[in-house]
Amino acid sequence: MIMSLMADELVRFSSVLRIAYNFLGGRDYLKRKKFREKKKLISVALPFSDLAFIAGTVPVFPIRMQIFEINKYLRYLGSASNIFGWNRVSDFLGFVKNLGIGELSKLIDDIIDEVIDTINKKYNEMYDLGIESGIPSDFCYGIKSLYGMHTSKIKNVEATLNFTIRCSAWNKYLESLKTIENTSQQIWIDIPPRNIGNSLELLTENLSKAVEKLELITGKSVSDNDMRTHFQIGNQVKKSYKTILYEISTSDFYPCNPATFSEILALLSITFQDYNSDAKRYAENLSFLVNEMRERIRKGIGMDVSKRPKILVTPMFGGWPPESHEIIYELGGRAIYADWDILYLLEEIDVSSSSNPLEEYARFLLKATEHGIGCDNNTLTNSYVRIAKKIDADGLVFIQLFGCHSVSNCYTMLKEKIRQDLEIPSIALTFNKIGENVEQVNTRLGAFMEMF
Amino acid sequence: MEDLELLSDFSSFLKEKKEEGKKIIGFISHDNIPEELFDAGGFIPLRLMFGGNDDLMTASHDFLPPSTCAFAQSCIGLFSLKPRSYKFLEFIDYFLVSNHCVSDICASEIISKYFNIPRLNFYISYTKTNNSLTYLKLELQDLKQNLESIMGSKIENEDLLNSIKKYNNFKKKLLEFNKLYVKGSEKLKIIQKALLFGPDFHPTLENIIQKYKENSNDFENTSKDVILTGCSIFINDYIIDLIEEGGANIVFYDTWIGNSYFSQIISDDLIEAEKDPLNLFVHRFNKNIYGDHSVPNFLENKIAQILDMYHQYKQKTGKKLAVINHIIKFCDHISIMSSFFKNKLQDQGIPVLNLERDYSKANKGQLSTRIEAFLEMI
Repeated sequence: MIMSLMADELVRFSSVLRIAYNFLGGRDYLKRKKFREKKKLISVALPFSDLAFIAGTVPVFPIRMQIFEINKYLRYLGSASNIFGWNRVSDFLGFVKNLGIGELSKLIDDIIDEVIDTINKKYNEMYDLGIESGIPSDFCYGIKSLYGMHTSKIKNVEATLNFTIRCSAWNKYLESLKTIENTSQQIWIDIPPRNIGNSLELLTENLSKAVEKLELITGKSVSDNDMRTHFQIGNQVKKSYKTILYEISTSDFYPCNPATFSEILALLSITFQDYNSDAKRYAENLSFLVNEMRERIRKGIGMDVSKRPKILVTPMFGGWPPESHEIIYELGGRAIYADWDILYLLEEIDVSSSSNPLEEYARFLLKATEHGIGCDNNTLTNSYVRIAKKIDADGLVFIQLFGCHSVSNCYTMLKEKIRQDLEIPSIALTFNKIGENVEQVNTRLGAFMEMF
Repeated sequence: MEDLELLSDFSSFLKEKKEEGKKIIGFISHDNIPEELFDAGGFIPLRLMFGGNDDLMTASHDFLPPSTCAFAQSCIGLFSLKPRSYKFLEFIDYFLVSNHCVSDICASEIISKYFNIPRLNFYISYTKTNNSLTYLKLELQDLKQNLESIMGSKIENEDLLNSIKKYNNFKKKLLEFNKLYVKGSEKLKIIQKALLFGPDFHPTLENIIQKYKENSNDFENTSKDVILTGCSIFINDYIIDLIEEGGANIVFYDTWIGNSYFSQIISDDLIEAEKDPLNLFVHRFNKNIYGDHSVPNFLENKIAQILDMYHQYKQKTGKKLAVINHIIKFCDHISIMSSFFKNKLQDQGIPVLNLERDYSKANKGQLSTRIEAFLEMI
């Protein structure tokens, strides 16, 4: 089973159930927003949803427009939560589980297993659709899947929000969305490749123009306050995310089993791209998650992980072998996913009243370009090393994504820096598609984990 | 077979320039590099425009994964293996890292870092808006300052204008040559040589044109005429032989080693009117609508351009053209659009072969078969 979550541990994380439900139930939610509330949907990918939120549109990571087979019990939980609230639903589940009612406990296990399994299956389905629709198989998992996600659904969005980054395949993929029948408007935001001269000013203007286009879509104007309000929520999300990454994931005691913890990180990585289309709700869920984790640690519920080496597994946002964290767990380690901070996308944005919020957003994007996604692999590899240091990683597993010419092709340079600066073991795993090469991943990770 | 004579001549040419005290700037041969700026600063631009082979590609795997653009792999391989006939690469004093595509960045960075060649930067926006043009100006100023700092003297506007004019005239001459009805492989060799040597080749080019004009009826074409678009055919690449052996003659090189280079001429009026010559590069970039770097209109512009070429050729000669879209394996820009490109042109009745390949010898047979099958169909 791919990426099976340890449901025993998860049942008390109602916030995780919420995040999962909000992800899988996206289609109904988005339909409601679009048809009942007359909101405009904007397609986003990578964590570039801010402008869409600011403009009062609904950002959507396009896979969420697809139909997911949601376990009927999770659907029931979702509906029940609308009436009773998530906390009470979660308490009920915990109660049932503590009573040891086997049948129901098994159902809960199944629910959580299916959540993750469903996401992975859908990703693979989108990957196949991407190829069938004309994207050559030589492109990376992420691009093929993203194109596939748009093929039948792009007609539902008013626009795609296209940020140029250094990855040429990404930029060209965005252009290629124009080839889809009934395609939508494209709103481009050119991020200057380097922070030189008045690049900041230029990017601020580019962002401003994009906001104007979004305003035309909604018919409503955006104020500085709207921007600050959203960035404040975004900062809250990032704070919670970083707390999970740096306070919880580096501690000696985990609020759950380490494989479950990794799966929560994986779920956060996926959902962070559009905040499940509702920034406020997502920020609340993340805040709850932090509280739930801290509370469990305080009560001593969870697992001592002090002897388990911390393995930074990266980059995984464009596709990765999801079984890797389970293997690492079984072999005595704990896998940590921290891509968005590696790419400098968890930096907070200045929302002080004296600041120009759009300029601050431009500053955030330029910093990501300058230090994270990077002008080149030298910068990028520095950032991998930075995060490995920050979490005090004992090892690093580098996912070399087939067809990726950008963030996952720099292992040689990274390996050198790891040897010089960190002196920890590292290994590269090649990845093409979920479910492929499971044996190879098993063998290589087995050999790697023997080093600890 | 490697054109050893060409490489040897080029080696001597560079040696001579080095002896004159010139510094050499290497870069991966793609769009939008302001070689006139190098020339005005007293530098010699050296385009990496050499086709690869199995050994070169394999050597690059020490630095980048095999799923990297085969051309970028081969460029790294040249520095890693240092083949005898490419010894002149040791003359390179600086390497320009640019972002035509991400493989360009990564390969250039590796060449600079691992082969100890000081680095220069020149990055270009992906879109063409007023702000991206303004950004290009920043990059040009930055590059100019860096060149001046290396040379310890200012690059005067007058010198830059003279260089721009020199390259302009050179490109005009290449355009004149391109109009001649010459066998595709011969034409390619001359275009390649011209791009390699730059305007120093101008006098030779004039003689060549003269010679061809005098013997205008020498070439009797019994092959099928095709346009080559997509990725360039680089020096010593066997693909041109396979295409001709398969029964095609390339009448038009719609690639960077071809029309995309020499069609980018800055008008004389603009040169006269513009006070800051750096703006001329900005203007050229803005007009370069067929370059594959830019988004979001590359595909539609390219299709419109091919259709235009097709119709013009048909009107002029009464013959139909087919299109070979040359795709070097793992080239992001050309590859991702290939199926859409083909479908759109085929809908207009123009046959297209998406010819994807790397530089390995093992693929030769398969490539020949594909070319032959395509040509039989048209």
